[in-house]
Amino acid sequence: MYYLGIDIGSLSCDAVLIDSGSAIAASVVVPTGARNRESISRATDEALRIAGISRTDIAAVVSTGYGRDRVEERLSSVTEITCHAKGITALLPGIRLLIDIGGQDSKAILLGKEGGVVDFAMNDKCAAGTGRFLEAMARALQVDIDDMSDMDAGAKGEQSISSMCTVFAESEVVSLIAGGTPVNEIVMGLNRAIASRILSLVKRTTPSYPDVKIAMSGGVARNRGVVRAIASLMGHEVAVPKDPDTVGALGAALIAKEKSTLQRRAAVSVSLSL
Amino acid sequence: MMKAYFTDLEAGIVKAINDGNSSHRKLYTLELARLGKRLYSGTDPIAWCGITAPFDLLNAMGVTSCFVEFIGAMLAATGVVGTFIEETDHAGYSSDACSYHRSVCGAAMKGIMPVPEFLIGTTCPCSGGLAVLENLARRFDRKLFVLHVPQEDSAGSVRFLADQMREMAAFVSRITGRKMDGGALRKSVEYSNRASATMREIFELACRVPSPITSRDFSNFGIVMALFFGREEAVTIAESYRNEFKKRIDAGDNGTSGRKFRLLWIQNRIQFRHGLEKMLEEEYGASIISDELNDITWDPIDPENPFDGFARRAISIPINGTTEKRIGHLKKLARQYRIDGAINPCNWGCRQGAGARGLIENGLKEIGLPVLNLDVDCVDSRKFTEGQLRTRLEAFMEMLDNREPLWQS
Repeated sequence: MYYLGIDIGSLSCDAVLIDSGSAIAASVVVPTGARNRESISRATDEALRIAGISRTDIAAVVSTGYGRDRVEERLSSVTEITCHAKGITALLPGIRLLIDIGGQDSKAILLGKEGGVVDFAMNDKCAAGTGRFLEAMARALQVDIDDMSDMDAGAKGEQSISSMCTVFAESEVVSLIAGGTPVNEIVMGLNRAIASRILSLVKRTTPSYPDVKIAMSGGVARNRGVVRAIASLMGHEVAVPKDPDTVGALGAALIAKEKSTLQRRAAVSVSLSL
Repeated sequence: MMKAYFTDLEAGIVKAINDGNSSHRKLYTLELARLGKRLYSGTDPIAWCGITAPFDLLNAMGVTSCFVEFIGAMLAATGVVGTFIEETDHAGYSSDACSYHRSVCGAAMKGIMPVPEFLIGTTCPCSGGLAVLENLARRFDRKLFVLHVPQEDSAGSVRFLADQMREMAAFVSRITGRKMDGGALRKSVEYSNRASATMREIFELACRVPSPITSRDFSNFGIVMALFFGREEAVTIAESYRNEFKKRIDAGDNGTSGRKFRLLWIQNRIQFRHGLEKMLEEEYGASIISDELNDITWDPIDPENPFDGFARRAISIPINGTTEKRIGHLKKLARQYRIDGAINPCNWGCRQGAGARGLIENGLKEIGLPVLNLDVDCVDSRKFTEGQLRTRLEAFMEMLDNREPLWQS
């Protein structure tokens, strides 16, 4: 038996298949694009292909992410907050504070010992400091977003980005480029601005953050410069799992397994009582 | 436009009631429609006011009065608020200002705010509301009387405010040419006292476990009831609520069946149509059974000396004064209602709401109560992002589901 977790975010659609022993059988990331259902099918088909199984081998599906209600085959939908908490606890046991920066929102999640959500804080309406923000800045810098990861190398950290509104920050970056500010200084300024925004979420949920293990998930966790800036600002190590963007989908798959098991037990107990 | 809206609303509800489809909520909405109709009748003397004005005193003096935020809420409920807010955009108002107030200013600019006889401003709960009244007074070229509500609850403060209210009564008499009728004032106070006493009963019923309340029951209830103080309708509505809740309790129909979570809503509700409360009830078994603005914080008013009582009431309102006072009141509600989680919409543009959110969150966490801060414009539906809010609310429910209950059964 296999369990499928699907995380439909604003930028990527992630699918993770786990087997009955909770081992990851497949992990897939595809762009979400304009048509959710197509990307869900694509991610699912690719996961099935990698695992070498068919749809009938899947016992349960749980969906998460902003498009979670678009997955028709779902057993249930669960928010990305709960799924990321579940996923990171499976990957990095002992983590108590999770920073998740996705395509359009960022979160600080305080976890209990068992990986349950104790508290969380999310960005307000503004998408500044999220994946979309970084995309816009990469566009302004005319660089590939994947290349931004280490573009802060050698920067002295003397350039701050004063505006965190995505639109204003983009024009600020354009002005800095025009004024001859080195790209590495601009990138470090952006990373620090994101870190500063994250720190306020962290302090709201986890005032004791210096004393707990911290990890980061979500697509932005692939950006080493942002992770470094967050770790530096907090004065604390930040662990990143091997596949940070599929943590939510993994959590969804684990919840699918739990829910499916509970349902089977309930069915058995009903049939026994009959 | 508004007169036709309120007339149609009244006719629709009267027909429903005559067809045997009556309810506490219908009676409440019917009286709101009638109040709206009086405000827009073009014949009744009317006054635009601040939230903590003594409406029973004004009702006793034959003046139909209303706090201006009510109009903002009505425009939001009818789905036309965007047009009026845009009007203030064109006039250069900041888009960060409170949408309750911007919509009222926009409505005045577009000529759908009736011209009042006078205006009564209050320094509580916010300076924005007072600024709107100053703005309207200038626009309509009408006199504005401002009640300076002291923050501290003391004999001196009561005396200070009661004297202002006496001056206010004299001001109203001068403008309307109507003398204060002692008998009418006594009658008005008696209605207010009866309504307040019944509202106490209602809130006690709401505290029950399980509670007979659903999220919709108390939406805008306490704050709008103040408009009916001094009139028989206040008593009729309050009794109708009490009877409905008693009936539900007697029938064993305690609000939403299978309810798991009891929620406290901080400040004011979202005023336009949305699916979030329904989603909370149907998908998570969570009902808002208490609102910050639903409480009776004052003693019965002495009909022979009502001004001191009016003053004490205005001073006692939890949103008057320091955030510390608000937190104390919210903690009291959380304990009384055995609340599982509090939701603070932090109405966009409200300095009192947004400015106090950190203190309120920390204060409630001191008693172990989880708080969800949202970022909602409660009036301007154009800024509403239901998906984002759903995610936050759903995550909050999942978090509550994962916690040990705060209160022992």
